[in-house]
Amino acid sequence: MTGIHSPGGSIARRTVLKAGAAGGLGLAGLADLAACGNSSGGSSSKSLKMLYFGEQAAATQLQNRLQPQISKLDANIKFEITAINGTDWNDFLAKVLTQVAAGTPPDIISVATEGLQLMASKELAVPLDDYVTKDLAALKEYFADIHPALIESMMYQGHLWELPDSFNAGNMFYSTELFQRAGVVPPSEGWTLDDFESAATKIAKFKGINAFGWVVRLWGSWTSFMYANNANLLEEGKYDGGDWLWNKAYAGDAAAAGRKGGWKWGAPTANSEGTVEALNYMIELTKKGLSPSPDVGGGGTLQGLFASNRIGMSIGGGFWAGGLTNAGMKNGSFDVTMFPKWKSQRHLFGAGGYAIFKSSKKKDLAWEVLKLLVKPETFDLVFPGNVTTPGRKSLVTAERYAKTGPKHWSVFYETLTKHPDTAPIPAPPYYNALATALNQRTTQAISSGNAKAALDGLQADLEKAAGAS
Amino acid sequence: MSAVAADVPKAVAQRRSHPTAHGEARFGFAMIALSVLFVAVFTAIPIIASLGLSFFSWDVISTPQYVGLKNYQQLFNDGPVLKSFGVTLGMALAIVVLQLTVGLALAVLVNQRKLVWVRTLFRTAFYLPLLASTAAVSIFMGYLFDYKFGVVNYYLGLLGIPNVPWLTSGFGAAATIVLIAVWQQLGFTFVLFVASLMSVPTDVLEAAQIDGAGPLRTLFRVKIPLISPTILFAAVVALINAMQLFDQPYIMTKGGPGSATTTVTITMYQKGFQNLQFGYGSAIAIVLLAAILIITGLQFLAARKLVFYQ
Repeated sequence: MTGIHSPGGSIARRTVLKAGAAGGLGLAGLADLAACGNSSGGSSSKSLKMLYFGEQAAATQLQNRLQPQISKLDANIKFEITAINGTDWNDFLAKVLTQVAAGTPPDIISVATEGLQLMASKELAVPLDDYVTKDLAALKEYFADIHPALIESMMYQGHLWELPDSFNAGNMFYSTELFQRAGVVPPSEGWTLDDFESAATKIAKFKGINAFGWVVRLWGSWTSFMYANNANLLEEGKYDGGDWLWNKAYAGDAAAAGRKGGWKWGAPTANSEGTVEALNYMIELTKKGLSPSPDVGGGGTLQGLFASNRIGMSIGGGFWAGGLTNAGMKNGSFDVTMFPKWKSQRHLFGAGGYAIFKSSKKKDLAWEVLKLLVKPETFDLVFPGNVTTPGRKSLVTAERYAKTGPKHWSVFYETLTKHPDTAPIPAPPYYNALATALNQRTTQAISSGNAKAALDGLQADLEKAAGAS
Repeated sequence: MSAVAADVPKAVAQRRSHPTAHGEARFGFAMIALSVLFVAVFTAIPIIASLGLSFFSWDVISTPQYVGLKNYQQLFNDGPVLKSFGVTLGMALAIVVLQLTVGLALAVLVNQRKLVWVRTLFRTAFYLPLLASTAAVSIFMGYLFDYKFGVVNYYLGLLGIPNVPWLTSGFGAAATIVLIAVWQQLGFTFVLFVASLMSVPTDVLEAAQIDGAGPLRTLFRVKIPLISPTILFAAVVALINAMQLFDQPYIMTKGGPGSATTTVTITMYQKGFQNLQFGYGSAIAIVLLAAILIITGLQFLAARKLVFYQ
């Protein structure tokens, strides 16, 4: 261990902590934990620990459901799932990093697109390349069933960091009852932004009803309009590499053509013409009384309002099928269609999957559990009741949606197949800073009515965040 | 020197060396040890540690880098962070002024009630919000003041008043949060003032009455000067609390719209826990601590002229 170095020099993390550079006014608590933590990390020798975004009660249920299958892999291992609650993924990731700092990182983490590049860039997880290559024969049916866009979204700098099992694309849900009352014909898949606004205008005539509701966040917010306007917050690119997987697992698959080593999010373009136009459109919707001021956060309130027929349309993914049903909506009282066409009908999506933590002492066992988690029969144990869209195409069936709806459930997967330009949300390694800035600048734009000024501010925020990362 | 005087140091020395005296001392130290340990572990060491951390760049995962005063230089050139100090100060001043004036007004009114049970009822009613969890209150208030479906806008709508953007306009959000914070913290100043007003000597009040002072004159010339030490204490505590405002804006507005309700503590949380700039977050915490110390010092300076000690 070294002492304190001259400016610019480095010092071992734990030396700093042991020296007392731990905590204070909240922040200190974290570092204190790190100082006391187990530097080797990972779970104890008798358990395999997984972190999960959600409620602990659900996590415990899942843990109990999966335990018998884990016991078949290793009879002495206790599977432990710790739930982390939060408004959105940035809350989740902040708490995950707190656990890492506390010296109690998990073996496996269930994380969505939002956290993938953050985790990979900080080398918190291990690339799965070697494991996949070793077990490629056994995984052949998995890759054949998973759209390559989902796999590519889980790659970073040419390596595969997660095995995806679910995704949600930003489609448009609508209340069939409100559409009927307003005399609006249910939208077709190829509907346009004009059709959307026309429908919204008719629905808005009802007192106490909001024609279109949305929330401030990265996934499925005004960002869906931005994608349909062929714009983005960051310059789009792709990392080289990934041929090791594409050439073997997706040989001959047309949908895999042009896939590379993961999405490379470049310089901020938050105040580009298309982005400003998209946010301006949202402001205009608000001014016209077609959309209320949005809330910041995960969308639970929005879902509740939609379920009580107080919102005509909203952006949702496959998770809304289960969510609306759980909120009391009957099958048939809501439906889904593609996001309306603007300059294009490009959708955004986010995927969910599993990664192995670098500090895990049981990586081989964790890999076996990962394979188990992405098996078709495991999906409904992990996600009972259509609370997300299966990543496996074979699981997106009429039977699955027979009880919950929506009628046009096939839209969920067809977003990937019919709109090949559909892309993941822009979640760079500095996702947390991006999400914070995006939330603040969006609310600023809506309250001030000036999208350009807000997005100039966002551009500056993102340039600073990109520079600091 | 008299014999008695000469015996005093001897007696003291005997008492000090007495086994019982040692036992008492040990017991005394043991009694305060837990408190000292608590303050050291949860207050003193973390503050010192935070000061240390503020000279580093650290993202939790990588090795910390010593950066000297760079975090502080960055802070004083960071517009949004400086703005959050301004927002915090503005909201804190509004909270303190309202908390003191409304708390005092209510205390005076309640104190005038002759019936004990009426006083008890009001004391309980005003104190109750203080016992509720701030997070729970903030979530609840967020629903009440929601633009779309909030109960407040619903009833205003029945009166023909259009929806008010309580939490979705800059001024509205700041004002709503201030009012909620005042409502919740009011019980603290109120109870202090009630107790203090009850301790004002009755002979002084009777003398004022005999001299022909009316209720207002008695309040401003007799009661308020006599309870001014309590007012100072309430002002200091209220300001320290208000400068650390976090729960209400974080839960209800996430610091928005824009940065209208982004307080220093929210900025600190965002920089530290969300952006993984723990050194920078610590520097913000230290500057906030310094700001609170300076403002509290100014309050005590002002108190030299304004506070009347009997």
